Amino acid sequence: MYQTSDIRKGLKVEIDGKPYTIVEFLFVKPGKGQAFTRTKLKNLLNGNVLDRTFKTGETLPRADIEEFQMQFLYSDGEAYHCMNMETYDQVAVQAETVGNASKWLVEEMMVDVLFYKGNPVTVQLPNFVTLEITYCEPGMKGNTAQGATKPATLSTGATVNVPLFVENNTWIKIDTRTGDYVERVKK
Amino acid sequence: MIDSEGFRARAQILSAVRTWFSQHGYLEVQTPALVPSPAMEEYLYPLAAGDRFLRTSPEFALKRLVAAGMPRIYEIGPCFRGRETGPWHATEFTMLEWYRVGASLPDLMDEVEALVAAAAQAVGVPCPGPWRRVTVRELFLEHTGVDLAHADAQSLSPEDDGWDDAFFRRWVHDIEPTLTHPTLVSDWPASQAALAQIRDDGPWPIACRFEAYLKGVELANAFLELTETAEQRRRFMSANAARALAGEAPHPMDETFIRAVGQMPRTAGIAMGLDRLVAAVCGWDSIAPGRL
Repeated sequence: MYQTSDIRKGLKVEIDGKPYTIVEFLFVKPGKGQAFTRTKLKNLLNGNVLDRTFKTGETLPRADIEEFQMQFLYSDGEAYHCMNMETYDQVAVQAETVGNASKWLVEEMMVDVLFYKGNPVTVQLPNFVTLEITYCEPGMKGNTAQGATKPATLSTGATVNVPLFVENNTWIKIDTRTGDYVERVKK
Repeated sequence: MIDSEGFRARAQILSAVRTWFSQHGYLEVQTPALVPSPAMEEYLYPLAAGDRFLRTSPEFALKRLVAAGMPRIYEIGPCFRGRETGPWHATEFTMLEWYRVGASLPDLMDEVEALVAAAAQAVGVPCPGPWRRVTVRELFLEHTGVDLAHADAQSLSPEDDGWDDAFFRRWVHDIEPTLTHPTLVSDWPASQAALAQIRDDGPWPIACRFEAYLKGVELANAFLELTETAEQRRRFMSANAARALAGEAPHPMDETFIRAVGQMPRTAGIAMGLDRLVAAVCGWDSIAPGRL
């Protein structure tokens, strides 16, 4: 159980049987009344945001959430298999749980897997990943026109827009939060 | 990081506030921060200092001056409240409190508007306004559909057992975040009267109080002051009883103050958080700039 004084960003609490993380909070004290903490919470299962106000002295149950850094091993089409490199525990994360993150996943990549009551519920990629371009139109030397891009297919099958000068078989850095090309990387 | 611009803005507003009070016939006074008996309200947590307390507001001292025949006074000085910390709270903060004999609450509302305008002018920002004047009951009807004159605790908020706790949860959750426009909120529930007069000639008993909100922050709290000794003593005793129920030590009663209450003419008084005034006028998102 947490007290209202424990409330801080990132605290994982359980509300109405669902795990939430606190994204914003503010201590509020009406002139003539009890103090409260106003919070904004994000549902860790579906991302929905909830507003809740807690009275000082109320308790918040801790959500049974654990987070482990794991290595992505392989996908069998239905599930993504990951291993905890310290304990060698393996877990199969269902494809729908991995969701869009699968676009950037390559074997041996380290990911953060969030478990709720022992089950994997989200797979968090690093903010930046480096992937190889397996197909794109030939580069145009000297064309540095600002903003001009072409589609490039990556080793994972995902497509990103890259500047015209980028060549086939180049390794590039991608921001997984936006899906945007960042820069070329020497490999 | 120390931000000298924050200190400069604060100094400009402080100077404008003093000028405004001087122009309106108010006398600046200074009273002790170390007091024999602190404010009695249940949800204030005074800090003890030796065999005395640090004041949570200068209210008792200023009312003794009013009772002694000083009709327009104000004080700017440090006050202390335990268990309050956050972007808009600090254990030690600066209170601006003033009293005006013969004034009504609308008179004080006019003064709040004029003072905020003077503060805005001092730092060269557009004057906030126009101010909306509204009652607590109207705000609840508008934002929750609940009529406070007939609502019990259960219908206000099922998770709270006390009416006031239920009221404040809804207030904090549903009403206060909407008060982003400058607003003067009057006619509070009688159970939250503190040291204000109570009126019971309308649809429900109300405390003759208003609160000022600027940029969603509670800026000030005004009372039509209680002037009856017996009622004052009864309220202190009931606050001490509530404190005992909550497992807190009762506070000593300030008899000098209780006697003074009975000698006060009809007076309206108001306490404003000076740090909040500066921060809200300057558009900061906490009271931190201009303070250490």
